[in-house]
Amino acid sequence: MLDLLVIGAGLTGLFAAYTAARAGLRVRVIARGAGSTHWHAGTIDLLGYLPNGQDAVANWAQALPELPPAHPYRLLGVHAIAQALDEFQRLAAAAGLPYGRAGAATAIDPTTSNPKAERLSQRDGPAEQFDDLNLGQNAGLVSPVGAARPVYLAPAAQQAGILEDDRPLLIVGLDGMPDFYPALIAENLQRQGRPARSASLPLDQLTERCDHGPLHLARLLDRPAAQSKLTEMVVDVAAAGERVGLPAVLGLHDHARLLKKIHRALVTKDPKTSQSQDPHGSVAAVFEIPTLPPSVPGLRLETALRARLDRLGVRVEIGMEACGFHAAGRRIEWIETETGSRPLRHTARNYLLATGGVLGGGIYADRRGRVKETVFDLPLTAPQTRTQWLRPLFLDKRGHPIFQAGVPVDRLFRPLDQSGAPVYDNLQAAGAILAHTDPIRERSREGIAVSTGYAAANAVVHGR
Amino acid sequence: MPAASLNSVGLSLNDCIKCNVCTSYCPVSQVTDSFPGPKYAAPQSERFRDFGHPFYADGAGPISRTLAAGQMPDASVDYCSGCRVCNEVCPTGVRIAEINARARARIVEARGLSLRNRILGRNELLGRIGSFAPGLANLLLHNPLSRRLAAALFGVAEKAPLPRWRHETLSRWLARTRAQRLRSEQKVVYFHGCATQYYEPFVGIAAILVLEHLGYEVIVPPQNCCGLPMLSNGEFGAAESHHRRNVARLTEFVDAGYPVIGTSTSCTLTLKEEAPELLDLENDAGTRALKFATWDIFEWLRERLDQGRLPSDLRPLHQSDQPFILPYHAPCQLRAHRIGKPALELLARIPGLDLRESHARCCGIAGTYGYKTEKYQIAMDVGAELFDYVAAQSPQSDQDSEGSLSFTACDSETCRWQLEHGTGLPSRHPIELLAAAYGLYDLHARRQANRN
Ligand SMILES: Cc1cc2nc3c(=O)[nH]c(=O)nc-3n(C[C@H](O)[C@H](O)[C@H](O)COP(=O)(O)OP(=O)(O)OC[C@H]3O[C@@H](n4cnc5c(N)ncnc54)[C@H](O)[C@@H]3O)c2cc1C
Ligand code: SF4
Ligand code: SF4
Ligand code: SF4
Repeated sequence: MLDLLVIGAGLTGLFAAYTAARAGLRVRVIARGAGSTHWHAGTIDLLGYLPNGQDAVANWAQALPELPPAHPYRLLGVHAIAQALDEFQRLAAAAGLPYGRAGAATAIDPTTSNPKAERLSQRDGPAEQFDDLNLGQNAGLVSPVGAARPVYLAPAAQQAGILEDDRPLLIVGLDGMPDFYPALIAENLQRQGRPARSASLPLDQLTERCDHGPLHLARLLDRPAAQSKLTEMVVDVAAAGERVGLPAVLGLHDHARLLKKIHRALVTKDPKTSQSQDPHGSVAAVFEIPTLPPSVPGLRLETALRARLDRLGVRVEIGMEACGFHAAGRRIEWIETETGSRPLRHTARNYLLATGGVLGGGIYADRRGRVKETVFDLPLTAPQTRTQWLRPLFLDKRGHPIFQAGVPVDRLFRPLDQSGAPVYDNLQAAGAILAHTDPIRERSREGIAVSTGYAAANAVVHGR
Repeated sequence: MPAASLNSVGLSLNDCIKCNVCTSYCPVSQVTDSFPGPKYAAPQSERFRDFGHPFYADGAGPISRTLAAGQMPDASVDYCSGCRVCNEVCPTGVRIAEINARARARIVEARGLSLRNRILGRNELLGRIGSFAPGLANLLLHNPLSRRLAAALFGVAEKAPLPRWRHETLSRWLARTRAQRLRSEQKVVYFHGCATQYYEPFVGIAAILVLEHLGYEVIVPPQNCCGLPMLSNGEFGAAESHHRRNVARLTEFVDAGYPVIGTSTSCTLTLKEEAPELLDLENDAGTRALKFATWDIFEWLRERLDQGRLPSDLRPLHQSDQPFILPYHAPCQLRAHRIGKPALELLARIPGLDLRESHARCCGIAGTYGYKTEKYQIAMDVGAELFDYVAAQSPQSDQDSEGSLSFTACDSETCRWQLEHGTGLPSRHPIELLAAAYGLYDLHARRQANRN
């Protein structure tokens, strides 16, 4: 019998499955569709904004006490969050997709291997405490419109995009690629006092296809010939000393090679390019800027996670929507997913609900204003009437109440009923479905996913 | 075409959140500009198509009747292969492939059906004609000259992997071996589909031998094509009459409580879901009963396994102590059942089998899609992901791996033919492997094993 059945294949579910499987549990993941890794920037954002704050959070570890007491981060504490991130970094490094603290002294130069990532990938014991003196320090990375995104961990490819670096920026777009506007990005960067300009490269030099979505471009740029051509074109437009920002389409399986190639070519042209004057020393001459969905950095992360799970023997079944369950007292006995015919039954000792929030499908809000958790009909904290769901302004800084709807849990991540007692003994919940957090507004999506997924999985591991 | 109602397929487009996940996965739009991808072809374009929804009929719908009238689905929707990879990954459950199938039916309704597509939609008729004189039929069909002619006249791709007629259909084998068939109180019904009847009777033989080995009497009632090829070529009227005939023929057994088990994942999916949904027969009592009685053979075997009722006398597939490497591809049609990959769970019980699960999205062929001249190359380009995967499993290309690679496995017939065409390795239905592991079947010769 399975030890753990994870419902949901987003970052939360996949990372929780990894955590439990690595501890020796028999795990399976089922999900209705792909998770929202395709929508996010591929960075691990911990906490960018406080619920009522206007300014970006400089250090999330120090800001935790300002969060509401029931916030998932407060349930965990800094130490547990740091441990989860450490485990995440180890997994990512081992999967060949190293992540580092954005703007850290260990920032990743694509020309040399990263010692920290290597050390992490070689370690194989239990997670150690994260030993970074700057634990919690966010850095600003260039967003798809040229604003600052408060990021904590970033993949190597995005490291050189930190704003706290005074090398002038050249934002390079590709003619005909939808939803990426280098001129807009450069203009917004200039408004923030950054020296920046833009350029556009003719795509017809690379491909005869007319469809230039991010994924098509990424697959194209996995090919050596296209890599050489793009490198040539980038070097042509770059001026001395500029670092180059490109849309995050530089390859799906082989982006590290292309980054390295462009970096080397730029440095050969002008050795000063990689000499950053900022104290953080993010030295690469080229970086990726995430695009609108489908997001290639998100997809790379998902691919890496799925490959690790595959090696651990964890099956991930997509296309299975939970449609029923059976409980005896406070134990879930089985759940059912819908099929083309009769429902399919899944039995496990423990269940982890990682179905995301309203946007992921874990919470459903109907026309009459009823808000429901979709698998177990768990008690939710949610606005009671439909008129309270949304604020009048789409981009209201306080976020929308409906997105704060969620499942309240205890410290073991067991969903709670109105009286504050666990609803079931063998059910955990993690990720965007949790109450008392608004991950989109807080810019904490991946931080919530990784830290609560890890903690919930460990609660199962230790409770065995 | 039956009048479409406001059923789950049509309305599901409202759930689209424009995330583009489907577009990231669609294997066809990845390799060609002829198809703009699932999001554009289905939930986006569908809003501009008039399906005679009551929704639109009063003129109060989202699009006025005048605008909607005369709107023809963009012909590019014909490039959707129907593989359903998009449905599988869509996070909000939009029925993309079904929306496309309906749009195609509307094109057919308005413009008529090409002779080529009518022929490709008549798998069963072709099968029946060819099996009168299989030798002659194979000779006529499988020679370079006639293939070139077929390509020029009808647009049937010259190089696409066409099957061969067998000298003995499954029905004739059943008639010949009637005396040896098991009689039992426990009975199941076997739905063979056209491909098994005319081109691959040995798959049916393997299935019957395994079911009998489990102690079940196998009833094979007269049956006709499930109608899928007509559905995928947009001939909904013909598909409906075929489906209704099957319902009429199987009702007696369904009412008696016997499971209807199939080895062709596309036939079983059609009985379970495609026909009821696309033809709007969800409220037809016979259709519903058949839907809930239908099983993929491994879905049904997995239940026996879970109940501890599967015979355990499984033996290694070959004599050597080297592992038997077997790349397995779960066809799109099987994934669309949403039952997981039950064959993996059963094959994993075979000693000495080094089972490797492909994560490739699609083999490309998608039923009759890859047989069309204009789509042959698309199908081969889509399949490249899978062919490369299989090649990488060979001990020659993977230093860490030991064993011998001589077969691939896949549950769907056309996918197997495409796999053989693309990899050069023979491909087997997992039931053939299971039958061989029970000592009932000869995997190389594809016939019942000699009992000794
Ligand atoms: C279109 C879109 C755009 C977005 N854009 C942004 C953005 O620009 N910026 C931003 O900050 N955030 C954005 N988000 C939000 C962000 O992606 C999520 O908040 C976050 O990723 C949630 O992570 P998770 O792992 O908890 O859940 P998810 O990644 O949502 O995963 C949920 C998983 O559960 C499965 N599931 C759900 N219900 C069931 C069920 N009944 N049975 C079985 N499985 C089920 C789903 O299929 C999925 O696999 C966006 C979301 C969407 C939908
Ligand atoms: S069914 Fe297949 S080919 Fe058609 S849109 Fe979906 S993924 Fe693409
Ligand atoms: S995956 Fe589903 S929700 Fe996303 S764009 Fe495609 S149809 Fe719409
Ligand atoms: S799907 Fe099945 S019954 Fe239908 S044509 Fe194919 S083989 Fe025949």
